Amino acid sequence: MTTSARSRNNILRPFDVMFEQFGKCCQLIGQCLILLCRTIGYILRGDIDKTETWRQCYRIGVQSWFVVAITALFTGFAMSLQISRELVMFGADTAIGGVVSLALVREIGPITAGIMVAGRVGSSVAAELTTMMITEQIDALKVMRVDPVQFLVVPRFVAAMLMMPALSVYAMALGLIAGIIIAYTAANVPVATFLDSVKQTILDRDFGTHFLKAWLNAIIIIIVSCAIGLRTRGGAEDVGIATTRTIVWAMTLLFIFNYLVTAVTYAPR
Amino acid sequence: MVRQRQTSLTRDGSIEPMVEVRNLEKWFGEKRILKDVSFDVYPGEILGLVGKSGCGKSTILKILCGLLQADSGSVSMHSEEVGLVFQGSALLNSYTVKQNLAIALRRRKLNKKDEERIIYEKLELVGLRGLEDSYPTQLSGGQQKRTSFARAIVNDPKIIFYDEPTTGLDPVISTVIEDYMNDLEGRLNAASIVVTHQLSTWTRTADRIILLHDGEIKWEGDPEGAMISENPYIKQFAYAKREGPLLDSAV
Repeated sequence: MTTSARSRNNILRPFDVMFEQFGKCCQLIGQCLILLCRTIGYILRGDIDKTETWRQCYRIGVQSWFVVAITALFTGFAMSLQISRELVMFGADTAIGGVVSLALVREIGPITAGIMVAGRVGSSVAAELTTMMITEQIDALKVMRVDPVQFLVVPRFVAAMLMMPALSVYAMALGLIAGIIIAYTAANVPVATFLDSVKQTILDRDFGTHFLKAWLNAIIIIIVSCAIGLRTRGGAEDVGIATTRTIVWAMTLLFIFNYLVTAVTYAPR
Repeated sequence: MVRQRQTSLTRDGSIEPMVEVRNLEKWFGEKRILKDVSFDVYPGEILGLVGKSGCGKSTILKILCGLLQADSGSVSMHSEEVGLVFQGSALLNSYTVKQNLAIALRRRKLNKKDEERIIYEKLELVGLRGLEDSYPTQLSGGQQKRTSFARAIVNDPKIIFYDEPTTGLDPVISTVIEDYMNDLEGRLNAASIVVTHQLSTWTRTADRIILLHDGEIKWEGDPEGAMISENPYIKQFAYAKREGPLLDSAV
């Protein structure tokens, strides 16, 4: 059946399509859970290729610093401008630092780093592994009795677990700098007042939540991209499909888990 | 070209096969890809699996390498060391030639010195010494194929599989590759299976030919016999004729 004929049929049977999508979703979740268990199994046994892990740290962490910096700075600028405008209207300009830092530590820092890493690293991991599947490089590893999970997934997973918290803290710090600049230029709030407000507002547990979110983001991005990459077969078109699927799924899960962590840690008691 | 091979004999004097395939069946959905395929490969022998595209040759190799599961039948291989030369070389592009070979040596947990010695020895064998720090994308098609050879033999396997080793290469490089295959066979006394379309490859390297058509064995014999056989399948294949049973079922 041609693609257009299939599309015509699918329009007439929306529930069948929804059911098929749901099946695919369950399948992907199952694949991700199995992959996560196998990856953790290797890590617990200490089967970690250190050289490859360092290489992946560079790819995931260092090469993402620039895009994370730009995104964090401009998110910080926009958010601080909005907050400053409203708080100045209510005469609460000394609270700008606290509100900006709360948003950055609890939500914006991890999510900004997560989205940028999902877009940059998740898509490249999915494209790389899919290409390796298509060009039989994964089969070559299996014939050499090298487990692709141990060889390809474990170093990326460990590297992401190490680098994501660093990127999140970096995004948070740059967002704060953006906040200080906006608070000073737009609301005339001195740097000392801004930082004093930050100190009074931020609690230790906020940093705990920040790191928890960063680690969850790392798990989601690497496991989703590797699960999709290692299951895709076909041709050049499938590399694009796998990449798109990875970004869509990783970002969707990123937002869902971000909310779940917030709900568990900050729900009113 | 008649080639003499060493063979390993059992105590009662019979030759023990290195690879035994019995009644192999494989289905892809509704389509039956392999139908009751059985054959043996002996030490020091190169078996040529030939046939037109889609006849099930590569499926057999994938089953033998453990990359696919057969639906029924059995495969016995009397050695754990298996090497596979892929059609597209399948080298890991983000690793150098040397690292590609080192990956195959990982599980032996050798020290750096022994690992390098083996790698350089194998690269020397395929004429790639000096290119160990190059990446696969910096190599020509022939050099990539030779790297794939070196990787396949780095653990001195007793069973080697070649999937279309000369497809896409020019006739000169194809001859070089075929010579490597014969040379390696002499050195390792391995049991080999070569899947190929190329007439020169199976006539120059194989000791025995199996012609597959629609997943079934239609003819078996030596390359010389293939050229004089009256079997309509091998006759059409060997002389690349348009008329005959190989094309009838496809058209």
